[in-house]
Amino acid sequence: MATTVSKPDLLVGKSIRRREDPRLLTGTAIYLDDIKMPGMHHACIVRSPHGAARIKSINTKPALDRPGVAAVFTGADIASLGAVPCAASLPGLRVPHHHLLAQDRVYYQGHPVAVVVATDRYLAADAADAVEVEYEPLPAVTDPEKAIAAGAPAVHPEWADNIAFTFHQEGGDTAQAFRDAEVIVKQRITSQRLIPVALETRGVVADWRPGEKSLTLFSSTQIPHLMRSLVAGILGMPENLLRVITPEVGGGFGSKLNVYAEEALMAFIAKRINKPVKWVESRRENFQATIHGRGHVDYFELAAKRDGTMLGLKLKLIADLGAYHQLLTPAIPTLSVLMMPGLYRFKNVTADIVGVFTNCVPTDAYRGAGRPEATHGIERMVDMLARELNMDPVELRLKNFVGNDEFPFPTATGLSYDSGNYAAPLKQALAQAGYPELRTEQAQARKEGRLMGIGIATYGEICALGPSAALPAGGWESATVKIEPSGKVTVMTGASPHGQGEETTFAQMAADALGVGIDDVLVVHGDTAVVQYGIGTFGSRGTAVGGAALFYALEELKAKVRKFGAMMLDTDSVTLSGGACVDEKTGKSISFAEVAAAAYHAKKLPPNTEPGLVSTHFWEPPNFTFPFGAHLVVTEVDRETGNIEIKRYIAVDDCGKIINPLLVAGQVHGGVAQGLGQALWEQAVYDDTGQLLTGELTDYAIPKAHFMPWIESSHTCTPSPVNPMGVKGVGEAGTIGCSPAVVNSVVDALAPLGVRHIDMPLTPEKIWKMIAQGGQA
Amino acid sequence: MKLTGSYTVPGPRERAYALLQDPAVLAQCMPGCEGLDRIGENEYAMRMKMTLASISGRFEGKVRISDANPPESFRLMVEGSGKIGFVKGDGLLTLSPAHGGTSVRFEGDVQVGGTIANVGQRLVETTARMLIKRFFDKLAAAASVLRATESAAD
Repeated sequence: MATTVSKPDLLVGKSIRRREDPRLLTGTAIYLDDIKMPGMHHACIVRSPHGAARIKSINTKPALDRPGVAAVFTGADIASLGAVPCAASLPGLRVPHHHLLAQDRVYYQGHPVAVVVATDRYLAADAADAVEVEYEPLPAVTDPEKAIAAGAPAVHPEWADNIAFTFHQEGGDTAQAFRDAEVIVKQRITSQRLIPVALETRGVVADWRPGEKSLTLFSSTQIPHLMRSLVAGILGMPENLLRVITPEVGGGFGSKLNVYAEEALMAFIAKRINKPVKWVESRRENFQATIHGRGHVDYFELAAKRDGTMLGLKLKLIADLGAYHQLLTPAIPTLSVLMMPGLYRFKNVTADIVGVFTNCVPTDAYRGAGRPEATHGIERMVDMLARELNMDPVELRLKNFVGNDEFPFPTATGLSYDSGNYAAPLKQALAQAGYPELRTEQAQARKEGRLMGIGIATYGEICALGPSAALPAGGWESATVKIEPSGKVTVMTGASPHGQGEETTFAQMAADALGVGIDDVLVVHGDTAVVQYGIGTFGSRGTAVGGAALFYALEELKAKVRKFGAMMLDTDSVTLSGGACVDEKTGKSISFAEVAAAAYHAKKLPPNTEPGLVSTHFWEPPNFTFPFGAHLVVTEVDRETGNIEIKRYIAVDDCGKIINPLLVAGQVHGGVAQGLGQALWEQAVYDDTGQLLTGELTDYAIPKAHFMPWIESSHTCTPSPVNPMGVKGVGEAGTIGCSPAVVNSVVDALAPLGVRHIDMPLTPEKIWKMIAQGGQA
Repeated sequence: MKLTGSYTVPGPRERAYALLQDPAVLAQCMPGCEGLDRIGENEYAMRMKMTLASISGRFEGKVRISDANPPESFRLMVEGSGKIGFVKGDGLLTLSPAHGGTSVRFEGDVQVGGTIANVGQRLVETTARMLIKRFFDKLAAAASVLRATESAAD
């Protein structure tokens, strides 16, 4: 028995380096493609080269005759299996049956038609080329507005109008607001289709064990448990005989928040050929067959008084859904509607969504998922209103923000904003930028004929998704904490982190709560046979929901450790600190390891206490969290080339309490990079026949490291009352705040030419043409 | 994708027209052509190799001639597909006498799909123009050879 141990500093709030990084940086992490198994076969998928076509015939014999080929599967082989699942439901939603392989028609370029399985990846690819598919091309439609125009080709022949659903939501009295308006600003604003481009493409390994009649599925996914339930459903196999393991995941951004045909296909094939089978997506397949994001055409109308008081907002949202519904496809635009009032007080909102089928790969959640589109819209509209009223955009925003005394604030779209101080990050950004000086500098630049812009966007988010009532498959999260007999701590989280760094942040939380060193804590995730059920990581929920589950699991376990400590120290007040149980009165202590051993040896138990030290907590959040912030961007546009230089990028984000500032900075940087991608460079382009013209990284411009500006990132802190740690989530903040700030800045730069709005991406070509045409698009 | 242009071929219109209908000449002049076999009235099976940006592959398809109005005009339809995608083209060729020979004007619509569209879209038009130019250069050479042979025979 030792004497007093000095109390260590708490780890929560500190910039601890990610414990994940050494294995990632030294190439010793195990990704899906690193998995090798004896007898493992490889699959290659034959995909439609057409946007729309009838399949007249498929001849698999030339492929079967090739060396190393074990099997070829086509639509006929899987027709009796379940469909690729869509978990979202909306009234009147039309759901096309999404077979794992095309039946008699293909609906988008990249649509899987056949799978070739061979002993080697290259033999499989060559054999896939030998499959003869005869197509009869059909008219296609890839533009959502053209798709709902009269006479457009029907994507699904059974629904001639191409409308998958319509959705109406209103709050307050929008008609009255528009009657009361002294000024109405209208604008069509697009949020172009984007390709998520995770560094690691998708991949699946399926391993059938005939003796156990069990199947282990390795998948690069964000949602191992949901995948287990859904794939078991597709195959009609008992869920407890299916195990999903998520190896290291090289980025998801929502694109792996899904169950794709390939997961069920590989499971089916492994069982059929009685061999492990691996499929790894190529980059071209990733562009064609993994979900895209965004794809909005939004018609906004904003009503206001001449003094700048905003009264109401109307939105007609045309959402390009693609050919099928993936897991959450139709739900994503409804998030835009929820978010459309932004940080503003007005209570009159009307929104109409038209969800449209097109001959394109489905859209679904991509970093921000519906909220960037809404934020881009409202923040562009506010800038246009400021211009119309000849008001400073800062003043207009400050005038309309929800006040600090109005929380919890019920929005016109039915949400309850948890907490906020919306002026704080904006004022901090302005102070940091030296706003009045910047405006003076801009006036001088304009005199010299230079095109300098100052853009501001404030944003709100809906994060910590979310209460179960709002999500199709539950919105809670789970955590188990085990103290092993040696005193080592194992945390199992149902959130499935894949780059967010919870192996570090959750270890910080556990170490602080139990008074042990961070190196004594292991965080385990992504294996359905080891981790209790969980929902996964998306919607900035990992820490704000998964962390809260961990918080309560730790509280429960801490109480039990204290009981054992109190019994052993023969006291009634024990704290956990410095790797020991300490008697608060005498300062006497007993090591954490000794207490743990006693709990398992169980020679003597405290009253009403079971042996062992394990606790599990499933936490249901009472609400979403609502982070917010302000981004300020200074740009200069080159008149000769149309090139945009970002002179300063200031991001002030309020994500509530921060567990690890280093990781929050990483999230902001990554989010801003993807926001800049949308604002300036990226766009998925299909031609009218359904050919994806941006089929590779040569034609799809994701930001490179040298494109990135210096990001001046700082924070304000308004704790959330929704969870016990006061955190709000930060995974999507950068993406949401970025694009409107950049576009507002460039429009401000081009204002002397009469430019009022520009749709993304702001490519030099587009800007140069505008300058050449005196401000006309 | 619309493609238009005109090239001059030595010799009179009748001869240029005849050359353009001669499968042996076409096979020789079409860049990458590995075979052109008659399969019916004004219809040929074609095999060709095509390279575009970083990708190359073999195409199999059909060439069909219609609306023949010798020696003034005809319509040419090309359809091919292979591992790297597919091509569909439809064009009107108009021949008119020109200084020193025959001017052949073409006006057509070309559609490409599959990998060549996904990867090479930005290069499709320039590549198509280059291939057409090569075709006419070879055709002009063939016409010159023919004329020289005829002159020698005179």
